Amino acid sequence: MTGSREALPDVDGSGLTLGDRAAIALTEYRNGNHQALGELVREATPLLWHTVRAQGVEHDAAEDVVQSTWVALVRHAETIAEPKAVLKWLLVTAKRAAWEAVRKHRDDEKRRTELPDDSPEHPTSLPAKDPLPDAQVLSDERDRILWSSLQQLPRRCQELLRLVSLADRPDYRYISAAIGMPMGSIGSTRGRCLAKLRTILDEQGDFSWT
Amino acid sequence: MDLTPERNDDEAVGHLSFDPKGVLDAGDGAVLTRLARLVESADPVPDDLVERSLFAITLAGLEAEMMEAVYLDTPLAGVRGAAAARADDTAPTEAKTITFTHDSLTVMISLSPAPGGKVRIDGWAAPAAGLSVELHRPGADVVTVASDEDGRFAFEAVDRGRASLVVRRTDGGAGAVSTPVIEL
Repeated sequence: MTGSREALPDVDGSGLTLGDRAAIALTEYRNGNHQALGELVREATPLLWHTVRAQGVEHDAAEDVVQSTWVALVRHAETIAEPKAVLKWLLVTAKRAAWEAVRKHRDDEKRRTELPDDSPEHPTSLPAKDPLPDAQVLSDERDRILWSSLQQLPRRCQELLRLVSLADRPDYRYISAAIGMPMGSIGSTRGRCLAKLRTILDEQGDFSWT
Repeated sequence: MDLTPERNDDEAVGHLSFDPKGVLDAGDGAVLTRLARLVESADPVPDDLVERSLFAITLAGLEAEMMEAVYLDTPLAGVRGAAAARADDTAPTEAKTITFTHDSLTVMISLSPAPGGKVRIDGWAAPAAGLSVELHRPGADVVTVASDEDGRFAFEAVDRGRASLVVRRTDGGAGAVSTPVIEL
């Protein structure tokens, strides 16, 4: 754990990714400086939130999962072997806790409501449809097209692109852990997902996306 | 977020790209940036989640195992829950009950309005045992009450805001447990 310090990126250099900043924050925290961790919490909470929500965790429970993920990070600050991988650690921890929350929620629901139509096709506890963006945001035609095009992708692709959009581009290695895609295939899978999305977008008309 | 298009020699990133030659083009970056905004808009991160997480981190040193909140709901709760959570910001006047569990211990608290815009917390722990219950709030001294023999306890007038309860058995059995940081 000490030997990895020199592997940390140059703090003064520009172009640090979220993953880099997470590594720095953990190292600083271990050295008794808690400020960088606070900044990391501000910056990475949205990514954790959407990771947890993508697993189907209900709103209130998702807040607790995110909160306890940060607590777990602090509790394990001294034992996370590789600071460089702390973003991945966060995402994996959040995702596992999310699965656990979903499992418990289903068990609870089952105990409470043994409905006759509670079949695998119609589980009672599955979340309702994905929430929609604000109507105001969707008043932009390109946003409408982007959103509806995204819905045409396989679910896994949707989840991947949503999360990747929230992180810095080179952080995909860590996102891959959260999505549970093998390291070897994540790049091409993201490429495929993004390529599919661009193809669908192109079919909608000649829009400039830049 | 840095999604500005640029030549990138990182071979791994090259695999990501839309362009088979291995570079994320300007359109890719712009689409992802736009998508990030839509994702945020569709399911916004709750306003106080960052602040609650920061406070939870400061309590991590208490070595209390975090309890889990149980959210009872109906099949439509996904929708209602989110709506209610938002409505709470503006109208937090109704009584609200939250149940927390950890292993065999269950703590139920009921929040109701108290004079002066404060909140009254009535709690009940099962199995009944002598408990000491600490109320932690950011920037405030810890307030401790003891439960009665039935496991009941109360904080009569608490300022609104973020708070966490830490529950310890007075007989020294079992470790301390804490609730997630909640918004009173």
